[in-house]
Amino acid sequence: MQVFDGFTVVELADRRNQFIGKIMAESGARVIQIEPVEGSPGRWIGPFVDDKQDPNKCLDYWWYNTGKESIAVDITRGPGQDLVRSLIAKADVFIESTRPGTLKDYGLDYDTVSVEHPELIYLSFTDMGQDGPWVDFEMNDHAHLALGGPMGSSGYSDPHETPIGGQRNHAYNMSSVMATHTITGALFERLSSDRGQYIDIAIHDVVGISTEAAVPYWLWYNQAALRQTGQHAAVKYRPTTQIMCSDGKLVQVTMPQMPLNAWVQMVKWMEEVGVAEELSDPKWRDDFYRADRLRNGDEIHEGIIRLLSKVTSEEAFHRGQALGMAWAVIRAAEENMDLDHYKQRDYWQPIEHEEIGKTILYPRALHTNDLLGTRPKSRAPHLGEHTSSILKNDLDIDDRTIEAMTKTGVIR
Amino acid sequence: MTSKPQLPQGFLTGVRIVDFSWKTVGPWATRMLTPYGAEVIHIEPPHRPDDHRFEFRPVHGDAAKNQIAFRDAPDSPAYYTTPNFSHLHAGKLAINLNTRHPEGMQLLEKLIATSDGLSENFSGGVLDSWGLGWDRLKEINPKLVYLSLSGYGHKGEWGSYRSYGPSAQASSGLTFSSGLPGKNPAGWGYSYMDVTGGWCGGLGMMMGLLRMKRTGEGVYVDYAVTEAAMAMLGPFFLDYQVNGRATRRPDFPPGNRSIWPEVAPHNTYRCAGIDRQGQDWFVFIACETQQQWESLCQVMGKPELLTDPRFVTMADRRANQDVLDDIISTWTAPRRRYEIMTLLQDAGVISVPIQNAEDRVEYDAQLRAREMYPVIAHPEVGEFEMERYPPRLSRTPADNHGRAPILKEHEEYVFGEILGIDSQEMNRLREGGVI
Repeated sequence: MQVFDGFTVVELADRRNQFIGKIMAESGARVIQIEPVEGSPGRWIGPFVDDKQDPNKCLDYWWYNTGKESIAVDITRGPGQDLVRSLIAKADVFIESTRPGTLKDYGLDYDTVSVEHPELIYLSFTDMGQDGPWVDFEMNDHAHLALGGPMGSSGYSDPHETPIGGQRNHAYNMSSVMATHTITGALFERLSSDRGQYIDIAIHDVVGISTEAAVPYWLWYNQAALRQTGQHAAVKYRPTTQIMCSDGKLVQVTMPQMPLNAWVQMVKWMEEVGVAEELSDPKWRDDFYRADRLRNGDEIHEGIIRLLSKVTSEEAFHRGQALGMAWAVIRAAEENMDLDHYKQRDYWQPIEHEEIGKTILYPRALHTNDLLGTRPKSRAPHLGEHTSSILKNDLDIDDRTIEAMTKTGVIR
Repeated sequence: MTSKPQLPQGFLTGVRIVDFSWKTVGPWATRMLTPYGAEVIHIEPPHRPDDHRFEFRPVHGDAAKNQIAFRDAPDSPAYYTTPNFSHLHAGKLAINLNTRHPEGMQLLEKLIATSDGLSENFSGGVLDSWGLGWDRLKEINPKLVYLSLSGYGHKGEWGSYRSYGPSAQASSGLTFSSGLPGKNPAGWGYSYMDVTGGWCGGLGMMMGLLRMKRTGEGVYVDYAVTEAAMAMLGPFFLDYQVNGRATRRPDFPPGNRSIWPEVAPHNTYRCAGIDRQGQDWFVFIACETQQQWESLCQVMGKPELLTDPRFVTMADRRANQDVLDDIISTWTAPRRRYEIMTLLQDAGVISVPIQNAEDRVEYDAQLRAREMYPVIAHPEVGEFEMERYPPRLSRTPADNHGRAPILKEHEEYVFGEILGIDSQEMNRLREGGVI
């Protein structure tokens, strides 16, 4: 049995929240996405198949909406609001990301719908939450990385260079993980109480606590940090941890405070490629001497730079790991698809896309585990693909009414 | 030493987790459970407390000195509660247990038998080497949810490989997709995949608990942080397979510009002033709609740009991003970042300063209004502010007043009340180096 088997999730389509429904769909939930009749905002992000704009061929949308059903409804109109109300009545979880107050105007806010459905778990997943002086701010994912702190810590070892935010939807993604965690807990409790509740999650709040020790160190010590290329921001600039190998690829290294045996092996490796220099001296076998020089000198760091310049990135990775060091090749995402390790773990899951006559491999989100049951089951829906079937089968609406609502633009 | 701790009431009240987590990714996965009332028992080896208790403290010297002080006087009143430890272990209980001692292992098995979950982020094979592989854990407790967090997962040819946040980011493609074109990757200036990676692990635990409550069956989650990291980059894999477009290409990553959606302007712009470390201040501005673009031009006092053929449509603006960014930078350069934010937000334009930790604590009116820094009390260090756990629930609210435990704080409760060991026996176990 999959974790969310038997649960129904209804989501109002939005760029912010679509990862939550995807995670739940991949673990068994029935997820119904209510889209505007012109399509979810997520359908217009790109990239598109062959770079031709088409709401049914948007790859960003494909990724975030595997396994969902789509019903296209104009919720700004009364009949559309009635349909949403009827779908919420069938739902265990309702997810929305509208501007605070919007759904109250439609009679779809928590206080209203929970009167008849006290068992409903209702998540408002918004930029700033439901209150506060910045509640109406215009934001996007990158703006969250800027305002929430990740960019404040990330960039280059140059005080005049711009901070950098990572590409794709990291603020939405990380907040969605926390939101799914919260929904799962609320479902856990509901098994005992039979009661739902309202959840308010602000993406800004979540991103704001995501930067590891940055805020705790400011709160305790008023400590401000310098951004550094490819590594943690810190009070002082530190030597690079991105080291170029002989094949032109970078390896991310840690500066090892390694035990004697591993140190001896490391020096042997340096000697093999002729770069050990002074590190062959027996004095370096003294743990305290080595630890002191690691903190106060650059000999070990320089030795590792010399070593890696003589070996390929893959050799550095595997042989470094054999010495117990958490080194890693800095890979482009797609280069992982060729690695045997993830194939052995059954990580890539095939999804048929008849629109392009091709099967595409999808990563699992987020756990490779068959008992939890996380795997993408089917492609993302086309716009309004399930409108008729949901209205007929779930809401018992007849063909004539469906036709009339289609003609008047209430549904698509 | 206190007896039964007062835990908050929440949706996990009554759930008990054995927590062998250390560093950051593991502690986060279980720290997400404590605001909801779970009883998370953090286990440390005797004579070798969690190394986050010793991390760098400007006032008290560096970690190595703290460790030496502990070695020389383990019962001294010096506190072992640092910012990161306090943050990562808030609301947990603490005991010491020697798992290398046969009696220690017996106690651990008894504790696992009374628990709902077990979480660890050791290197591959550690629990197996203790004789506590999944087969044995299932025997001890068939309902157990076992979360094992590691960089690459334990199954597969890299099952014994080590990883921490930056290497998981490097390996997955996260580092590579953050930076300016033609330069080394900027990557992430903190362990993104220790924090968010820990949250993904915590979700695995929560999902396991839900499944256990529904089926009565335990579950083993062999969670690989690099796999969650790749899931953060999903569309890249699809673009590669469908359009043959790799991310290893000359114009990627594009700095702070947006490739998809096709939007411009979308960038950071230098403004007046520098921070305490001498780093320039920047503001991020984006116009996703024509209306936002028109508003930006009005606020900048440059209505002529609206009819400039280089910027009429979004496609025009994207094609001429370099010159457009120069124009915006010229406007932002002499102005203050929060002033720019207010002017543009009032006009409906996406515009925010790049905030560091100081900014978020001191100047972020929204986080302050949302009470994101509650004051909590600690018996060793007094009162201090801590980051609040964000979700707000109407009926079973998350509690934000749990503090990190002091060393061995809950020994009497765990060994006495949970495992039923009397004080005489407990003294014997202490003297024998078991606890």
